[in-house]
Amino acid sequence: MTDAFSKVGIISCSGEEIPEGTVARQAVRRVLEALRPQQTVTLCLPLFLAGEEGERRFAREHPTITVDGCSKLCAKRGTEKYSGQVSASLVVSDILGDRARGCRRSTRSEDKADEEAAWLVAERIASEVDALAGSEVGGEPNDSPAAGAARCACGGPSREGELRIKGKSVAIAGLPLIFQHLQKKGLAPGEDCGDVLLKTVRVYHFIDAHEEADYRSALVAAYQTHCQQQPQSWKA
Amino acid sequence: MGNSDQPRAVLVIPCSGVGKVHGLISREAVYRVTDDLLPGRADTVCLALLVTGDAETRRKVQETPCVTLDGCPKLCALKNVELSGGKIAEGIRVYDAMKRHRGATFGTATELSPEGWAVVDELAAEVAQIAKRPDTV
Repeated sequence: MTDAFSKVGIISCSGEEIPEGTVARQAVRRVLEALRPQQTVTLCLPLFLAGEEGERRFAREHPTITVDGCSKLCAKRGTEKYSGQVSASLVVSDILGDRARGCRRSTRSEDKADEEAAWLVAERIASEVDALAGSEVGGEPNDSPAAGAARCACGGPSREGELRIKGKSVAIAGLPLIFQHLQKKGLAPGEDCGDVLLKTVRVYHFIDAHEEADYRSALVAAYQTHCQQQPQSWKA
Repeated sequence: MGNSDQPRAVLVIPCSGVGKVHGLISREAVYRVTDDLLPGRADTVCLALLVTGDAETRRKVQETPCVTLDGCPKLCALKNVELSGGKIAEGIRVYDAMKRHRGATFGTATELSPEGWAVVDELAAEVAQIAKRPDTV
């Protein structure tokens, strides 16, 4: 549990109607990917507001920073309604002031103004993360393998798992979660589970027909290892 | 009734999932429609604002046909528009469009690759066609 407790959740508003919403999103991504990848995860706001218990529980149990595009504060209000007070609330329009006028909603023709705005907000978020890391998690960097993973839009962490396919390393988003889920459902490790593993992983990861056998073998082996490491849960 | 080829007003609403490339594709497809393909005819609303119960946003989705674009099987956009009493003209799953580009790399949740933008354009064209349907009123 130390992995989970050492992370700060960042919730961006969706803000589709305004450029500030896109800035909020892009800033959060920069924090997750570049500025504080070890200390942060993100939660999907529409999913959170729609009642996804996993997202809400995370926000209840961890320090949370909301990043809203405008003064309507959907992210902050929604988070506080379901998961208690947020640790920090940032508003893009407050941070950027007049700078926001030069920003666009789409990233297709993103220019210097959009880039600068996103980084400016990202730096503010990172400062808040540092403040929380100092006060709530002791400022200890988390260097577990999955620590840099962003939380995914589907209600769970999008931690990656790695498979060796034809000698190459292939990252599969959400593989640890897929294994956990199948384990809970009682899927026993062994050759017979190959088809189920393939079918499930295929939902999230493209598998070419001619690589199917390689993926099946790699998944069976990886799932075997997973179950050996956590034998109680699949037998239960 | 005017020209049947003339697109009607439509709301296009993405899930905007922040964790995966699918969410960014959904979002960018919406902007392609509202800004380029159907300017003045198509619009979007903030999904979070809708979900928090904003009266004006609810009114919009109840009065205007909505096309939702969802990145993941949770279908947040579709379900939330329905829960708000919205009129769904079509619920589109981004994943279905991505499947047509087997083996492609679409970029990340931050930045799309050329193949990611190609999916955006395909989805946007699909939405524009839906806006021409007789049931999209």
